[in-house]
Amino acid sequence: MRSLRHLFLARQLFLKEQWLASAETHRTQVCRAVHSPPTKDPPQTSTGSYVMPYEDVFAQEQRNKASFLEVIKLYCNKTTRRRGHVELIETALRWMPEFGVEKDLEVYNLLLDVFPKEVFIPQNFIQRMFHHYPRQQECAIRVLDQMENYGVTPNRQTRFLLLQTFGERSHPMKKYKRIMYWFPRFRHANPFQVPEKLSDPVELSKFCLQRIAADRNSSTTVFEMPSVQEREDESGQENTCIVGIQSPDQVSLLAEHDPSMPVLVDGPHSLWLKKTCVYYYVLRADPTSIKKEVEVDPERSLYYPLTLDLDLDRDLGDDYSFDVDEVEEGPVFAMCMTSSGDERTLGRWIRGLQKANPILGQVPVLFRLSSSPQELTPQVVTEYEKTREVEEEESEPVHHRMEQ
Amino acid sequence: MSNLSRVVLRSLLVPRRQSWGALQGTTRPVALRLIHCGPRNQSYAKGLFLGTINKKEVFPYPEISKDELEEISQLVAPVEKFFEEEVDSKKIDENAKIPQETLEGLKNLGLFGIQIPEEYGGLGLSNTMYARLGEITSLDGSIAVTLAAHQAIGLKGILIAGNEEQKAKYLPKLASGEHIAAFCLTEPGSGSDAASIQTRATLSADGKHYILNGSKIWISNGGLAEIFTVFARTEVVDKDGTTKDKITAFIVERAFGGVTHGKAEDKLGIRGSNTCELHFENTKVPVENVIGEVGGGFKVAMNILNSGRFSMGSASAGMIKKLISMTAEYACTRKQFNKKLSDFELIQEKFALMAVKAFVMESMAYLTAGMMDRPGLPDCSVEAAMVKVFSSEGAWQCVSEALQILGGLGYMKDYPYERYLRDSRILLIFEGTNEILRMYIALTGMQHAGKILTGKIKELKRGNVGVVMELVSKTLRDSIGRTVNLGLTGKDGVVHPSLEESAKKLEENTYCFGNAVQGLLSRFGKTIVDEQLALKRVADILINLYAMTAVISRASRSISIGLRNHDHEVLLANIFCSEAYYTNNCLLEQLGKHSVENMDAGIRKIAKYVLEDQAYTCSHPLDRTF
Repeated sequence: MRSLRHLFLARQLFLKEQWLASAETHRTQVCRAVHSPPTKDPPQTSTGSYVMPYEDVFAQEQRNKASFLEVIKLYCNKTTRRRGHVELIETALRWMPEFGVEKDLEVYNLLLDVFPKEVFIPQNFIQRMFHHYPRQQECAIRVLDQMENYGVTPNRQTRFLLLQTFGERSHPMKKYKRIMYWFPRFRHANPFQVPEKLSDPVELSKFCLQRIAADRNSSTTVFEMPSVQEREDESGQENTCIVGIQSPDQVSLLAEHDPSMPVLVDGPHSLWLKKTCVYYYVLRADPTSIKKEVEVDPERSLYYPLTLDLDLDRDLGDDYSFDVDEVEEGPVFAMCMTSSGDERTLGRWIRGLQKANPILGQVPVLFRLSSSPQELTPQVVTEYEKTREVEEEESEPVHHRMEQ
Repeated sequence: MSNLSRVVLRSLLVPRRQSWGALQGTTRPVALRLIHCGPRNQSYAKGLFLGTINKKEVFPYPEISKDELEEISQLVAPVEKFFEEEVDSKKIDENAKIPQETLEGLKNLGLFGIQIPEEYGGLGLSNTMYARLGEITSLDGSIAVTLAAHQAIGLKGILIAGNEEQKAKYLPKLASGEHIAAFCLTEPGSGSDAASIQTRATLSADGKHYILNGSKIWISNGGLAEIFTVFARTEVVDKDGTTKDKITAFIVERAFGGVTHGKAEDKLGIRGSNTCELHFENTKVPVENVIGEVGGGFKVAMNILNSGRFSMGSASAGMIKKLISMTAEYACTRKQFNKKLSDFELIQEKFALMAVKAFVMESMAYLTAGMMDRPGLPDCSVEAAMVKVFSSEGAWQCVSEALQILGGLGYMKDYPYERYLRDSRILLIFEGTNEILRMYIALTGMQHAGKILTGKIKELKRGNVGVVMELVSKTLRDSIGRTVNLGLTGKDGVVHPSLEESAKKLEENTYCFGNAVQGLLSRFGKTIVDEQLALKRVADILINLYAMTAVISRASRSISIGLRNHDHEVLLANIFCSEAYYTNNCLLEQLGKHSVENMDAGIRKIAKYVLEDQAYTCSHPLDRTF
């Protein structure tokens, strides 16, 4: 969580520099092909053989959907003959991510609307046979390509525009049909969809934990809401939140845990949600070597026998179980996500867990915290990357250590 | 109804004679019925698992002597009159209470002690006669359940496992109805799992009392009862010196103190019966009140439950017979399109269905009751469970069809029909749900067959040439089309020729069933306990086989002695057997290994999807993806 925020801050700073550089050359007039100091270009996708008169139009400070639409509108109003529309569209395509409209269907439709209508529709079989208006068709395909890359499903209006511009038997139309063949089929291919926006850290944590736990009966608990908190070892202030998850099964599993064996707080482990990486910690134990043989009490079921007293095993032909080399893994008792993965915060989590799991008061808790999450965000100075492993004496109750 | 009638009834109870066709002409006093007289070879149902028919067990159909018949009809008449004239079922249902005078009437009729021996002041009736009375008492679901909770389970513990002192102390008052009994097993966390019984009885310091603590839920008669059969955990020292928690049964009187009950539960059906929570708080139970041994409660509970079920068959049949006459009257008077309802074939079909079901239920119930009344320790628990499953499901189906015949009328609270529907729903649930009983039926048989077949199957798997050749030749003969003859028809036959077809069907099904069981055992071995879908089919086939046996046996007897309308019986029996034959064939096919008809894998998968999501999983039909 912390690393994310740092990453975000760094990025904002980066953009600001960009703007400063381009601020003085900021123009709103369209088609002014004058020299301006080179601005930070969006990534070049094509050969770039054409002149780029529209680049500077997009290089403005306000980068949002409204300003993007403004530019397109200006172009459309200025030139009734739509001269240079291919250049405009291709430039616009490249700038879309910068304006944050790369997933906006409305914008794509508007871009396609820039094409002059009916001019490019082939009129006879010869035109149809050859690539009629190749640059325009290719440009439209590029628009559709970009939609495809960003997973934007076209709609009826897109089809209508393509029909108006290029006609039924054209390459963009073919592309459109192909997209429409596959996209709806892939719509629910991922059964574990991640919502578009998850900004609230608590909600994000809840979502992630439920996703990992994959148990509908488990209950998420917010042990600490994000709040401003003074930290003695750091001058700044820190938001911490602890969100934990535990299922009834895990509660009973933990209750049966042998108190002489320590439990481990293990982490951080990473989880990627689209472009976000988050970290979580698990409370687990080392695998027990002795497996308890569950003996069926013959006097258990009042109504029917639970086992048969037979000397016959399952036939090999009906044994569909796989021969699996089972990796011994210890039981997982609970999971949590916190904004800071230090031992103190995790200790507070363990203390919170004690309410539902009184056994944690007797069991020694070991913190096995490996390299901290911040290593993935090199800009941020971290202070917790030391690997810690704090052995806990059996006699010492957990909460003592927590308050140290 | 007065005490007088009861006295009259008592005087009629001369020592009965139980005759068992030509096979069993022995006379024996009723009181000896519960005494072990030597082991029976095996029960009929278990024999079916091996593909054999022990025809001696079920042919001829059990009958009672003329004296007994006269006696029972004299008993039945006043009870019938009482139910017709003095029981207001509508009021009982509405007020959710059986009026005191009705209860008094029942007590005066002796209905609270039907099976309690005469020496303890009961009627001392046999199982068959109990079943006969059950037909009438079932006309009101609430009363039937109250009576059943009292004597089929409530006091059964004292009756079958209690010692002489306990019997002498408690049975007289229970028989007269002065005290009502209740059976306390179910707990908030324990239905059929004895391991989760939490109620605990600890021996007091002086060793004279057990201190009982805990609560029980859904106790029928819980609010009315004076005497409770309570199951609780006690510490028992094992042979090897370790202490273990085991279930023990106690007789608890309300007078012992510390017994409180919650308010009566509001139920869907059988509303007049009293069901409530019970709490025991430091109730002091004398050690003499332990039923059976300390730590032997599990067996007691199982025996009580197993023996209490058979009567549900006759009870359901009684209810349906009543329902048939009520709906038939309606169907023959109501006109639509200038035609009587009874002229429509779709309505006729429903009556035929109800008649068949009632006939089968009756046949099964009295066959089982007759088997239980035979000397020797009756091992009829599987049969009783089958009767319960078949009759409860049949009753539900018939009541539903009856309501269909009545149309909107059946749905109205002004008429009694919807009450029958509500009342009959409990039949599928209590005394062991039908699902659990199916497991019991199938697994008990599997255990029995497995014991006998293990050696053979092992030889087969080891590749013993002789056994393999035997199997191969058997399969070959079967595939050529061998006719199965298990001795029901022909020279030593026991079945009347007009039922020969049906008997052949039964024989063929039985033979195939035996093969299927062997196949299942060799495929799954002892892991068959986890193959519940297969076990359900096994149970269904077995129920059908038993039902076929019962109707063939009964109809054969009827036709042989020339009972009134015996031709109807033959028709009903033949119809049922053909139907059951096809069902069985289908089920047997599904039990095969690579059966196309078997959709278990798909069923498991669907259930998995749904249960993972804990919801219906499909998208709405109106949903779109673009």
